[in-house]
Amino acid sequence: METGEKVNRGLKALEERVLKQDLCAGCGACLSLCPYLRSWKGRVVKLDDCNLEEGRCFGYCPRTDVDLNKVYEGIFGKGYEEIEVGPVRKIMMARAKEPLWTKKAQTGGVVSALIDFALQEGVIQAGILTPRDQDLLPQGRIVTSRKKILGSAGSTYVSGPTLEALNKGPWKGRERIGIVGLPCQVLALARMKTSGLEKRTPIDRVDLVIGLFCTWALDYKPFMAFLHERLDGRPVKKLHITPPPERILEVTSRGELHRIPVDDIRPFIRSSCRVCLDMTAELSDISVGTVEGREGWNTVIARTAMGQDLLRRAKDRGVIETRPLPKNNLNHLMEASLLKKRRALNALKEKGGIEKAYFTLPANLIKRILSEPREAMP
Amino acid sequence: MSSISQNAPGKTVLLMGNEAIARGALEAGVKVCAAYPGNPSSEIIGTLAKVADESGLHVEWSVNEKVALEVAAAASFAGLRGLCAMKQNGLNVASDFLLNLNLTGCGGGLVVVVADDPGGVSSSNEEDSRIFSKLGDLPLLEPADFQEAKEMTKSAFDLSEQLGLPVLIRSVTRVSHARGNVRLDELPQSGPKPGFESSRRFLAFPAAPNHRLLHERFDRAKPIFEESPFNFYRGPEKPELMVVTSGSGWMYSWEAVMNLRVQDRVGILKLGTTWPLPERFVLKHLKQADRILFIEEVDPFLENNIKESYAQNCLDLGLKAFFGKVSGDVPNVGELSPEIATRAIRTLLNVPYESRPADYALRAHEAASELVPARALGFCPGCPHRATYWAVKAALALDGREGFVLGDIGCYALGMGPSGFGQMKTMHAMGSGTGLACGFGQLGRFGLGQPVVAVCGDSTFYHAAMPALANARYNGANFLLLLLDNSSTAMTGFQPHPGTGLTATGGDAPVIDLKAICEVLGAHVEVVDPFDVAATIETLLRLLQDEEGVRVLILKRECALVSAKHQKRLYRVEVDQERCLGETCGCNRLCTRIFKCPGLMWDKGTGKARIDEAICTGCGVCAEICPGSAIRKEKT
Repeated sequence: METGEKVNRGLKALEERVLKQDLCAGCGACLSLCPYLRSWKGRVVKLDDCNLEEGRCFGYCPRTDVDLNKVYEGIFGKGYEEIEVGPVRKIMMARAKEPLWTKKAQTGGVVSALIDFALQEGVIQAGILTPRDQDLLPQGRIVTSRKKILGSAGSTYVSGPTLEALNKGPWKGRERIGIVGLPCQVLALARMKTSGLEKRTPIDRVDLVIGLFCTWALDYKPFMAFLHERLDGRPVKKLHITPPPERILEVTSRGELHRIPVDDIRPFIRSSCRVCLDMTAELSDISVGTVEGREGWNTVIARTAMGQDLLRRAKDRGVIETRPLPKNNLNHLMEASLLKKRRALNALKEKGGIEKAYFTLPANLIKRILSEPREAMP
Repeated sequence: MSSISQNAPGKTVLLMGNEAIARGALEAGVKVCAAYPGNPSSEIIGTLAKVADESGLHVEWSVNEKVALEVAAAASFAGLRGLCAMKQNGLNVASDFLLNLNLTGCGGGLVVVVADDPGGVSSSNEEDSRIFSKLGDLPLLEPADFQEAKEMTKSAFDLSEQLGLPVLIRSVTRVSHARGNVRLDELPQSGPKPGFESSRRFLAFPAAPNHRLLHERFDRAKPIFEESPFNFYRGPEKPELMVVTSGSGWMYSWEAVMNLRVQDRVGILKLGTTWPLPERFVLKHLKQADRILFIEEVDPFLENNIKESYAQNCLDLGLKAFFGKVSGDVPNVGELSPEIATRAIRTLLNVPYESRPADYALRAHEAASELVPARALGFCPGCPHRATYWAVKAALALDGREGFVLGDIGCYALGMGPSGFGQMKTMHAMGSGTGLACGFGQLGRFGLGQPVVAVCGDSTFYHAAMPALANARYNGANFLLLLLDNSSTAMTGFQPHPGTGLTATGGDAPVIDLKAICEVLGAHVEVVDPFDVAATIETLLRLLQDEEGVRVLILKRECALVSAKHQKRLYRVEVDQERCLGETCGCNRLCTRIFKCPGLMWDKGTGKARIDEAICTGCGVCAEICPGSAIRKEKT
């Protein structure tokens, strides 16, 4: 048996086990912590070797040694139990009432409206959102105004290093912070919160986490190269994927609408997404997604007391309106979410075994995810 | 203080070998001196430049060695005496002209001094320049000490005029750069007036008749060399072993014989005129011994030429055993030393001798390592090249397509090592980085997807990269050329060049603007200050993405050593001990572990970085890279 040699849990391991394996989710949790990692065009790049045995880059990454039970315990006070959509206090559909939000929104405008409401109410003093620059490159930005919130609405189906903004600041030092993130980013935030390493980031001031449903995200560089070629270099104004069963990527460019089958862009899905267990951003206070067949509405899951309280207040103050989520939609959501977990486990099996995966999960849960029949769902 | 221009016949002065060569040229009445700097030859023209005005000379730093030789040859064609100096690589550059010049012959005395760098201590290659004398049928002299360096140079001018051929002098580092006593002779007070005789022609064509004429001229050197005082024998009548040597090998061999106390067993045949061989003189002495050992720098030049003569005359000479580089008794790479000469002689004579205890080197190293800080071969504190390579490293990593850097000759060649973060991947001749980029820049059509980057210094650009850049533009090569413009020929000792606005003698010169040249050649040109690290990375990334043709980025920032001479530090830099993250996660000693400017020190006691105020030049670059904003810079 090997003795004496310490297992590296620093940049060296991050490079070997995440960056070189193309497992990086591009969440940004490891960025602006140190000078060794930087992001450019959606890719995290190692600039120099760091020989520390343990580092925050590895500790915060959502793709390194994640003990899911422990993380869920740290956030919810109970382990990883639900195998479909994670811990739920209340599930509903909702939409923003003000046209200001719904006009620019990808669906119901709930996320923008809630962040704005939290800022107005003083629940938070700063939000971290993910606007795109003129080249559609997503970047984490600290926002404190409506204008900036509006500028961040919508999606380009590309993930970006949102969490870098949390590490980087600038912060005045006392702001309470609300973050909107993808499931991988929400997992990274939970790891940051529950990490035993010296923090030196404002993670303890993050009071609100709004998670976005996500089936996959695209890798910026190859996707942009593809669009550039398809559009002959013309600038892209808006991207939208039509709901199933059609699933067409609609690209607005210079007033023209280009329709591209989603299957054509699947090759640009990040490898990291193929092994992701989480569709509904389970480690958030509030998770928000679409509602199939009900355009203009969001599915909303309140997961923590804080999240539930904010939703209730937003509803009482007329910021959002809610309705019960129809049974069919709930069933469908649970099925889709479970299937994402199952696909991830199967992908990991092919990659060398679930036991070697980036997370640990009790065997009985793995078994259930792989075998749970759909009929058994509530 | 230069003492080479004093007219004090009979006086003995302490001179560096290169100064002695310069003095020899002055005593010979040289009028035109030209060179491109290169160690270990640089001080020859550097010294003459300092006395040019008082001595009535034209001294110039030419853009390259070929032009330098052409400048000196023109003086010769006009009846004046001309001197050209270079290092061994330089002769490769000048050789195209030289190997036509031999066919045309020359007028006034023309001497070409080539200082070889055995071991390649400050060179890209290790090369024995003597082969060119054989290649071009040109007479060759090899000084063995400082007095000889002066005398040979002086007599080389006479010889050149006698034969009508340029004469080569081959020095080596230990002759050029060491110092010794030199007895001065008179300086001439007047000289001829230049003129191009209309009846004379210097045409290499037609080659064959001129080749015959060259042989005739060359053959006239043979009887002169047979009588040369630069060749002599020292030792017993019938030595057990005869050492044949030239140049620095003479001193090494003599020291070895003395130390081994074998003066009565070993003779030394010291040759100063080594091509054409003084054959009768050599054969006469070969008869004295049956065992011959060759001690000479770099290649077995004497060894093979003398063996050739021996083969022709072996019936008279009888059986001989030869030892040297060919037999493996003397190493055939690297610089010679007294130790090497001693070992070879001791082994052949079977004499027990230990010049120093076997573990001496190890113990000396151990003792010294406690006194001397461990410093790798690298850039000076505040060197702009460090900042440049830092930005290049980051930009290539971020770009993510495995771009690579083609190197060139100059201080920035240290970019191959840790202080350039190992970025530079090729190094050959002057201008070869850009030339190679011309080739790599055509491989895109075959599927090469990696960005091609070439680096080149300002002086190197004028020397040899301009034709390559023209080629790149003409043939549509696709690459990024980084011109590292530190406004100096720093590696060889800060000689001025066409971009500096100064001549070799300190006069004003028009500035040949790098940017304008590149633009007129049709390249897209941008200029950035490498000390502005963020802007440099951003510009590099943008230019790397640009796939069309040749792009030039000029990284403009004066050499730190030059700046230190005429301006105060830009910034006062200090490390805030409270903010320094040291070895913790978030920094892990980026400044002293990776960036490694010698101006930064790691304090083991406190676990924090500090500034070494004695050597910090105040460039402020470390303040930009410190992740904890602990390094503060304040304008001075």
